[in-house]
Amino acid sequence: MSQRLRLWLLAVGGAGVAALLVAACLDLPAFGGRRHPYGERAVAASLARHTANTIASLNFDQRAYDTLGEISILFAAVLGCLVLLREARDEHRAQPQPAEVALPVRRYALIALPVALLTGLYVIAHGQLSPGGGFQGGVVAATALHLLYLGADYRALERVRPLGVFDVCDALAVSAYAVLGLAGLLAGTAFLANTLLPYGTFNTLSSGGTVPLLNAAVGMEVASAVVLLLAGFLDQAVEIEEERGS
Amino acid sequence: MHHLLPLLFAVPLLGAALLVATGRRLPRAVAETTGCAVSGATAALALVLLLNSAPPLVEWVGGWRPVDGESVGIVLVGDGPALGMAALDSLLTLSALVYSWRYFDEPPRGHAGSYPALMLVFQGAMCGFALAGDLFNAFVFFELMSVVAYALTGYRIDEPKAVQGALTFGVVNSLGAYAMLMGIGLLYARTGELAMTKIGRGLDDAAGQGGPDALVLAAFVLVMTGLLVKAAAVPFHFWLPDAHAVAPTPVCMLLSGVMVELGAYGVWRVYGTVFAGPGGIPAADLTRALVTLGVLTAAIGAVMCWYQRHIKRLLAYSTVAHTGLFLVGLGVLTPEGDDGIALYLLGHAGVKAALFACTGALLDRFGSVDEQALHGRARGMRAFGVMFAIGGLALAGLPPFGTALGKAITEEAVGGPLTLVYVLASAVTAGAVLRVTARVFLGLGPRPEDAAYETSGSDERPETGRRLSRIPDSMTAVPAVLLAAAFAVGVAPGLAAVVARSVNEAGSGGAHTSVHWTPHGILLGLVSTLLAVGLAALAVTRPRRLATPDWALPLRRLQSGHVGDYVAWLLVGATVLGALTLPGVLGG
Repeated sequence: MSQRLRLWLLAVGGAGVAALLVAACLDLPAFGGRRHPYGERAVAASLARHTANTIASLNFDQRAYDTLGEISILFAAVLGCLVLLREARDEHRAQPQPAEVALPVRRYALIALPVALLTGLYVIAHGQLSPGGGFQGGVVAATALHLLYLGADYRALERVRPLGVFDVCDALAVSAYAVLGLAGLLAGTAFLANTLLPYGTFNTLSSGGTVPLLNAAVGMEVASAVVLLLAGFLDQAVEIEEERGS
Repeated sequence: MHHLLPLLFAVPLLGAALLVATGRRLPRAVAETTGCAVSGATAALALVLLLNSAPPLVEWVGGWRPVDGESVGIVLVGDGPALGMAALDSLLTLSALVYSWRYFDEPPRGHAGSYPALMLVFQGAMCGFALAGDLFNAFVFFELMSVVAYALTGYRIDEPKAVQGALTFGVVNSLGAYAMLMGIGLLYARTGELAMTKIGRGLDDAAGQGGPDALVLAAFVLVMTGLLVKAAAVPFHFWLPDAHAVAPTPVCMLLSGVMVELGAYGVWRVYGTVFAGPGGIPAADLTRALVTLGVLTAAIGAVMCWYQRHIKRLLAYSTVAHTGLFLVGLGVLTPEGDDGIALYLLGHAGVKAALFACTGALLDRFGSVDEQALHGRARGMRAFGVMFAIGGLALAGLPPFGTALGKAITEEAVGGPLTLVYVLASAVTAGAVLRVTARVFLGLGPRPEDAAYETSGSDERPETGRRLSRIPDSMTAVPAVLLAAAFAVGVAPGLAAVVARSVNEAGSGGAHTSVHWTPHGILLGLVSTLLAVGLAALAVTRPRRLATPDWALPLRRLQSGHVGDYVAWLLVGATVLGALTLPGVLGG
């Protein structure tokens, strides 16, 4: 297809879709309306189960099944990426050379690492109480480890993240979530029912029944998934080289 | 019983997690056996649930049953069609796993479990999508299904083509998913609900005496764009041949056999539950949109199918043509049409998966899937030749295959000139398959000379370690069983009636239809079979008469492999869909 024809098609299609979206936006409810059928029900349900953070209640209790689907997307995406980023036939692994790191960078990275890691764990642990949770905290915790790559070198990073262990953690976290769901089923209620544990005192770490546990499983899943994913890409960038002459 | 519905997703997921956790030290045979066992157990569960699906199973995950008609939870609907699709995708995954038993040359080093794990997640995602009674939940599984499919398509990373095909697949389908998500956002803004039935009721309440407005139209177009991209309707279909040509054969069996059809199933489910009310899209507009796109899809799919020599691409276009036929049948919105399509889809899944399985055997034996390069070389593979021919005849609609029964019932439902579309599209696609049989397995006709502008299939790499000198029994048995299943769909007494009853209960308020073989249907089936045989015979004996005419060349050039083109077409498709449904909105 010629460039011109392509642009024409894009213009026609884009204009049509844009017109459709503009027309739809004019029919949207006005900003700041009072009617929120789902929101009102969700807040009431969250308070009834002593979960201070309604978002966490939505994610890990009311619509916990969606979250199982979402962490499966992450799980499958990481698995898929590792399959696609594997060493091809015409590639081999080379040992990366240590590189000189400027002293201020090294110092900053090494000081920031434990702080970032702790922040990540804190965000995961308080998911049911305050904004944040397993998804956000998991990313913070996983990226914290990579400060070692900036502060030291790739080999140091490889020593603190044995991929075999993270592979197992990744799978265990997904299983833990699903098994918690099955526990509800076996207890006679329903899959992913939050009826196994006492709901505890509102606004404390142990409140919300299974919400903190599912939240922790998601935190573990996201942290291991991000580590594995970055490892796959870093391996490609740092270690795997194309064979010469092929 | 209804509490077990979420297990159809949870069991394969747990199996996949087990394979990933132990994958580094697991011998390959153990990994593949585990994969088959888990997949088989899920299939068994789906069948048990299917047998208990009247009255439909409804499950509120997490025990969030509605209080005063309101719930914050997610609902799963286990009616006949939903569990039927779940059972179909589970059985096909099982057969693909058996087919690929010790199939790939080398699994990723230290990751013997990766391939069966991905297949299991794929199976679970398709089950989850089929069962979803909540629109957002359906989107989540739509995404999961797509993500796994991208990875499986690009599995053979040593070939740049595979990576390119997977990338195209990924870009186009992700855009479809975003469109769908935007549509869900609009529906949520209007109704404040996510469960499909509640959205439908919300739209009706909001519309009051007036009809649908621009927001409903936009939401409809966006959600349908997502589903039609998955269903590979023209002009959203460009990703499919590129992906199917490069995906490993067992993955093609799943993509063509059931994933694409799930897109059509989604169209049926979402229109019926969300947009069918007075506040939704009027029936006449839906019929106009789906029948127009469906006829176009069938026509382009059939023409492109005929002019392929890369056998996997040929089968891919035949899938495009058949989804066109499915969309037409669903678009006429009659109970008989739905019943016919349900049976057609079951039969087609078996036949298409079997044809791909036979092509995989060719690829692993000769390192080629090119019709011309393989001319006469597969004379020794008698069993596969016979199966390929039977597959071709079944695709044409030779009674008493399930495809023929479904097609006959649908033809009666659509009536008039649309019947012609069914006869022609099935005859042309089947004719192409029979032509391949005659040339490759029988060596008939003169050796064709090379044409300039064509995608040949001769520089393919076999998917097994080296070329197979003898095809393993598992690879022969799977297509045979699949063809037998497609045959059984047509002849099993009472099956058609049960399928029709459960489809009508779910879709048409329990309308009573009688579905059975009619003389008229048998006659039309025989006509398209004869036409297919005639076309194949003519192509083999007089290749010049049916060589690519000039008018077909621009059509072929549209399939440029350029992702940008496909994205432009996607936008055009959404606009066309909007234009086709616009009259109802203006009238209201």
